[in-house]
Amino acid sequence: MIEFLSQHFSWAQNPVVVARQVLAGISNGMLLFLISAGLSLIFGVLRIINFAHGALFMLGAFVAVSVLSLSPGGGWAYVGALGAATAALAVFGAAVEAGLLRRIYRAPHEFQLLLTFALVFVLGDVAKLLWGREDHSTSVPALLDGSMRALGLTFPSYRLFLIGAGLAVALGLWLVLHRTRWGIFVRAATMDRGMLSALGVNTRLLFTSVFAAGAALAGLGGALAAPIVAVGPGLHVQVIIDAFVVVVIGGMGSVMGALVASLLVGIVNAFGLLAFPGLAVVLTFAVMAVVLVVRPHGLFGVPE
Amino acid sequence: MKPAGRLALGAAALLALPLAISDFWIFIAIEVLAFALYAVSFNVLLGYGGMLSFGHAAFFGVGGYAAAILMKKAGLPPGVAFAALPLVAMVAAAAVAVVVGYFSVRRSGIYFAMLTFAFQMLLYAVALKATGLTGGDDGMTGLKPPGLLAQPLAYYYFALALVAPALYVLFRLVSSPFGYALRALRGNPRRLQYSGVDVRAHQLAAFVITGAFAGLAGGIFALSSGNVFPGWLNWTASATPIVMAVLGGVHSFLGPALGAAVYVVLEVLISGKTEYWPLAMGIIILILVLLMPEGLTGLARRRTA
Repeated sequence: MIEFLSQHFSWAQNPVVVARQVLAGISNGMLLFLISAGLSLIFGVLRIINFAHGALFMLGAFVAVSVLSLSPGGGWAYVGALGAATAALAVFGAAVEAGLLRRIYRAPHEFQLLLTFALVFVLGDVAKLLWGREDHSTSVPALLDGSMRALGLTFPSYRLFLIGAGLAVALGLWLVLHRTRWGIFVRAATMDRGMLSALGVNTRLLFTSVFAAGAALAGLGGALAAPIVAVGPGLHVQVIIDAFVVVVIGGMGSVMGALVASLLVGIVNAFGLLAFPGLAVVLTFAVMAVVLVVRPHGLFGVPE
Repeated sequence: MKPAGRLALGAAALLALPLAISDFWIFIAIEVLAFALYAVSFNVLLGYGGMLSFGHAAFFGVGGYAAAILMKKAGLPPGVAFAALPLVAMVAAAAVAVVVGYFSVRRSGIYFAMLTFAFQMLLYAVALKATGLTGGDDGMTGLKPPGLLAQPLAYYYFALALVAPALYVLFRLVSSPFGYALRALRGNPRRLQYSGVDVRAHQLAAFVITGAFAGLAGGIFALSSGNVFPGWLNWTASATPIVMAVLGGVHSFLGPALGAAVYVVLEVLISGKTEYWPLAMGIIILILVLLMPEGLTGLARRRTA
């Protein structure tokens, strides 16, 4: 027992390591949140599992890479990249919803699944055609380059910035969902779409705008992640799985659930990698299965 | 033509087919046989039972890995291992399906799909990490049937001798009272429950039986393609049987087999010309979903009607 503990948990005696892993977990969790918030929002309102969400994230990262290549390290280029990725994906999301998804809301589940699935393959290959098959890397803006020191702990500034950005998005999303008319409609649609429509709300427009918003969040997430991940084809296949796990644990349709589950998964993964390298992936899916069996609506979702 | 006549014609065509084509196309024909069984078994669940499994690739993959481990790691003489292969692939897949199904059939609709998906990813992670048993990322390669059966022509007949009876069993299954209970279950599970039928037991039985046949298909395909990879278990692989079933038409027993044939041949033709087969497949799926939801058999029926 003691041998087991010392083999797998010796790092626990070192507070600096623990603090570093917590921070790393939170910053990874914030990236997860940016992807999964949109996925969850879309599922809540449209009742569609958007497998293409990872592809939207990847497109956001590619757009950011292209903009950043104009002026590497520049602060304004970075701001421009974030804005361009968000805006481009919002427009693209609106077009996908109005052009494709809208036609299959009444179709059986397998058609909805196949449609977003088809988008995964199409967008994956389109990204290859436009940006090539090799991985792109892009630099962190000069202002956020380097690292910060406090209490004997060194931590990359950009990672801290990601935590702040994630919190800002979470706060902004909460304000929009709870303090605007659109937010009220979105939350109402999550509970009862039929009633909302019967009350005279234009649900067509609502669906388009929700998908556009979800896509924009994915695009922003991709742009924020661009400096710290290898941006290349295939990025989307892994990203969507992580986001999925988060949304299932947090509860499909709940943005709050996505935030809590993202941080949970981020931190558990950070420590899982220290304690049981190799097993962390298996554990993640085991947790996902257990949540689905015991509590299919997740931590914060509404039971059907 | 009478059903018996059509059956005889179909059998004759399947027996004569490999004599008329090159070795390359015989390999493709074997692939079609395996995937036809996979798609038809999947559709017994979807088209008859109304259960959308998004993790059926798990059973195809487990069948494939079971076959590979049996041939490579069990230490049996190749002939003995090969003779046991169909049974082992089916039993391994069925055993996994009992566990996955036990938990999954408690939920319906999209949650059922998500659960099967989660279990599939769990198995994918295991296939990646249990390097000693599965070869991890590299998969297992160099599989082949023993002796004369390694000839494409001989292996084709071997595969046909497994797939044809398997399809017959599945056909008898959907034509039996059990099959009618499955259809009723798709229409109105609650009513079926009230008329005294144990819905969950029926769902679980259907899940395990179709899982076992998917496993057999995976085992057959593993030895013709010569390898198994963890990708067989990844989430992108679970779209394959859905596409095949919908392409052929979910409202016909053999529709998915036709879908499998068209899909496999298209893949061969298109990926021989361009590296952008996923793009082509995505576009095909979009056309299918938006323009011809009844599939190929649906189109044929509409033209004759």
